[in-house]
Amino acid sequence: MNAHILLQQLVNGVVLGSVYGLIAVGYTMVYGIIGMINFAHGEVYMIAAYLTAIFLAALTLLGIQSPPVVILMVLILTMAVTALYGWSIERIAYKPLRHSTRLAPLISAIGMSLILQNFVRIAQGARNQGIPTLLDGGVRLMENGPEQFVQITHAQILIVVTAIVSMGALWYLIQGTAMGRACRAVQQDRTMAALLGVDTDRIISVVFVLGASMAAVAGTLVTFNYGSFDFFIGFVTGIKAFTAAVLGGIGSLPGAMLGGLVLGLSESIFSGFVNTDYKDVFAFSLLVLVLIFRPSGLLGHPEVEKV
Amino acid sequence: MNSMRTGALALLVWGWMWGGAGLADAGTVRIGVAGPFSGGQAAFGEQFWRGAEQAVKDVNAQGGIHGDTIELVKGDDSCEPKQAVAVANRLVDLEKVVAVVGHFCSASTIPAFEVYAEAGLLAITPGSTNPKVTERGFPTIFRTCGRDDQQGVVGAEFVVKQLKAQRVAVIHDKDTYGQGLADAMKAHLATLGLKEVLYEGLTRGEKDFNALVTKLRSVKADAVYFGGLHSEAGPLVRQMREQGVTAPLISGDGIMSETFVTSAGGPKFVDGVFMTFGADPRKLPTGLSLVERFRKSGYEPEGYTLYAYATVQAMVAAMRATKSTEGAKLAAWLKANTVETVMGNKSWNAKGDLKISDYVMYRWTSDGKYEELPR
Amino acid sequence: MPRKLWDAVLAGVVALLLFVPLTGVSLSGYTLEGHWQRPLWLAVGVVLGRLLLGWFLERRQRMVGTTRRPGWITAWIDDHRPYIVIAAVIGALLVPWWIGKYWLNVAILALIYVLLGLGLNVVVGLAGLLDLGFVAFYAVGAYTYALGHHYFALSFWAAVPLGAMLAAGFGVVLAFPVLRMHGDYLAIVTLGFGEIIRLILNNWLEVTGGPNGLRVPFPSLFGMDFGRRASPGHVTLHEFLNIPYSNEYRDIFLYLLLFLVVCGMVFLVRRLRRMPLGRNWEALREDEIACRSLGIQPVTVKLSAFGLGAMTAGVGGVFFAASQGFVNPTSFTFLESAHILAIVVLGGMGSTGGVIVAAVVLTVLPEVLRDFAEYRGLLFGCAMVLMMMWRPRGLMGIRRARFHRSEVG
Repeated sequence: MNAHILLQQLVNGVVLGSVYGLIAVGYTMVYGIIGMINFAHGEVYMIAAYLTAIFLAALTLLGIQSPPVVILMVLILTMAVTALYGWSIERIAYKPLRHSTRLAPLISAIGMSLILQNFVRIAQGARNQGIPTLLDGGVRLMENGPEQFVQITHAQILIVVTAIVSMGALWYLIQGTAMGRACRAVQQDRTMAALLGVDTDRIISVVFVLGASMAAVAGTLVTFNYGSFDFFIGFVTGIKAFTAAVLGGIGSLPGAMLGGLVLGLSESIFSGFVNTDYKDVFAFSLLVLVLIFRPSGLLGHPEVEKV
Repeated sequence: MNSMRTGALALLVWGWMWGGAGLADAGTVRIGVAGPFSGGQAAFGEQFWRGAEQAVKDVNAQGGIHGDTIELVKGDDSCEPKQAVAVANRLVDLEKVVAVVGHFCSASTIPAFEVYAEAGLLAITPGSTNPKVTERGFPTIFRTCGRDDQQGVVGAEFVVKQLKAQRVAVIHDKDTYGQGLADAMKAHLATLGLKEVLYEGLTRGEKDFNALVTKLRSVKADAVYFGGLHSEAGPLVRQMREQGVTAPLISGDGIMSETFVTSAGGPKFVDGVFMTFGADPRKLPTGLSLVERFRKSGYEPEGYTLYAYATVQAMVAAMRATKSTEGAKLAAWLKANTVETVMGNKSWNAKGDLKISDYVMYRWTSDGKYEELPR
Repeated sequence: MPRKLWDAVLAGVVALLLFVPLTGVSLSGYTLEGHWQRPLWLAVGVVLGRLLLGWFLERRQRMVGTTRRPGWITAWIDDHRPYIVIAAVIGALLVPWWIGKYWLNVAILALIYVLLGLGLNVVVGLAGLLDLGFVAFYAVGAYTYALGHHYFALSFWAAVPLGAMLAAGFGVVLAFPVLRMHGDYLAIVTLGFGEIIRLILNNWLEVTGGPNGLRVPFPSLFGMDFGRRASPGHVTLHEFLNIPYSNEYRDIFLYLLLFLVVCGMVFLVRRLRRMPLGRNWEALREDEIACRSLGIQPVTVKLSAFGLGAMTAGVGGVFFAASQGFVNPTSFTFLESAHILAIVVLGGMGSTGGVIVAAVVLTVLPEVLRDFAEYRGLLFGCAMVLMMMWRPRGLMGIRRARFHRSEVG
């Protein structure tokens, strides 16, 4: 075991963790505001991956070649359409259930997730899809001899940088704007916020749109980096991201990012130094342990019992 | 609300009648095609269906089986054992099929074949390579593909004798097929006196294998064998190359699909990947005109398409010769005779395995195609 | 009128934006194939659907003024409850003799889901603990039989109580530290636990056979086999009774046995709900703080519900293994937990009759939809979403336990 390998595993973990974090944001915001687990969120990420490939192919057909322009345009288009998907999902499957039983939206979400998966399968075919490599190569750090280096690809750098930028933007949106203040108010107390003139339905829509955009960023970045996806990817990644959200403390934005990083790092460290077969067992055991000793997650606030 | 209930009831009753209506008409022979038509492996189900469909069209155009036309029935198992048993019972009991082409995933094939064997039905899988499928002494069970243990032997011989690898890492996807392949590889490596340096499984459906790739670096593997499907092999090889691992990747027939190139992010990543597969059915002289027809209709007959076609051909040949659809008679005939198929002449041993396994090594090239290595 | 039209047009525009990229073109390698007619048809469908929905909502709005008739079916069911139960029991006993092997297998699966639904109903519906990893206990039961048979030649009759005990044990051990958590965290922990169990079953090759699964024998009846040929030292049932062999007998036997177990479970739950323990479950679901102030121990009460649920799942697992003849970790994924939860919610949480109906419908429906193999998942998902909109409290709705004068006096 040497330092290069350890550093390389840390790099792997941070990249993976950034992706988990971006998706976890969607879970955590929706949970914070309406207290439901949005099981269809993983499928939103899957749809973003498909949209990325479709827009990329479309731009290539239109003759736009320059990588930075293509990446930026694909990212913006994907975010726009995915956000629309997030909005529509909320409008169709959750809004009519706003005043229903606590489990009704959960079942509806599971149903929605089945719908989206099968819709994409029927529309796009069941086969594994991919995109050509846009970002090539990378940088080698601390190179001294064969196997003695830390490799960071350009796509990985793009993932981490974009994740930081978009999380920063989201943070500003929530903390620094009037709309963000309204979001926080609704999260604190929906009835009170409504009484004070906040259009809660609109705010909930906004939250779904924001969550879906973040999932879109993740979907686009992952597609650029790994280049391969199918209609089933939303499930595994969704569960992992959700685990990250809970780990960090559901309802808390920095918690989602931290949870993603912790999960990504622990997965890659465990997989690298212990055993790949059991890395998911380790991840879920970590979750169970954290919840037992810190029931509201790493950064969550303990829940106040309201009578 | 009341109308909802009546509606649900009507749907049930209708479903019942629909299910019951599927009885065999005089003059038709019903054959089931079972495989994953939904779920993650649906691409392989489609290959089965395309191949079988075309074969049935051709047979019916030539006058069917002594005047009887063949009709295909689809059975979707999503590669899940529970559904496979349900589908198998449905094909046997409701659809009254006389033979089954399928299933694909070994984990589905194994329990489903028990149902067919019990009903005395001829069942031939074009794609399940796990040894267990034919090892259980059922008389009416066949396959038109090879076995994983044969594949593992060819792969291991190649890795040790051609590539002269010393430190082999074996990776699998923790599924019946992939793990079976990896185990076969491991076993034959051992007989060649080599112990693998790493034996681990990745999770199907994930795309990030960077941690595993770093581990490959840390154990200094000089050859990597992967038992699994193209959907994971693609990202794996890409991440290996991106992280600077130059060891060659060797895999089995599960990556035999053009999608492998797409999922790896382009031909430059698959360049130099080796795999074992039956001699390419698309290149056989017997299949040329059929391949042409497929391509004209806008479909590339890749992977198991021609295997499914050949499976139907074998069934039809047996039915024509014995003038029967009884599983035991068909099976006895198939074991005693040689069938001329689109993939050349095929004959089966007493277990139902092909007498001649024709696994050879292939190499993916820099233009995203694969070519047979000179033997 | 113009407003409704405007709404519909807007919905159409949104639908176009959604459907053009995903259905208007499809990926083919690195390029695209156009299918321009698909999004147009979908958008037209959405516009018409929106118009119809608007008309429907308006009609319902007008109905609100008039007093609504109570559902006559519900009233009729209430009036004829004993007859319905007797008819259902007789029907269920007659069914296996003439439906054929395929539907018999579906019926067995339906009964297993009824059992699982009833078990989860105790946990979620009565005690109000959201459990997303119920499948873990189901897997424990199934693997108890499979592994027990493989290593210790355990018989089916010994596996049933052992599976139940082991599953309940796992349930209690897991739940004990977790139960002090607030509702949704419990959901996550159980979800994680479900995945852990499945992954261990899949990865621990040396013991569980991993993805290759394990073969499971069929149960025998008083030492008699159901096979065509007897295994050494055994007699077959058809030889003993001197009747012609049929491969349906063993399924009929399993069906009847399961039916007995389900009846036992229904009876148990009915009794428990009237006992202090059952009332504590429901009280705890409604208001935990009030319960604590009345001296009810939340942890023991929750633990009993969790353990009973897990035990039921364990029994269901043993039956599942026996009916399939093969177990493999793919049968115990999260989707399976979601399916069982859907049964409980669709049936109306807490309602025994509702859970039974929902389990049967949700098992038979996918089989019926098999004819639309391509669209099965889509239709199943739509059914779940629509059901939640029209009947969020489930098919039967919740029926609260009440003290009636006659019961008390």
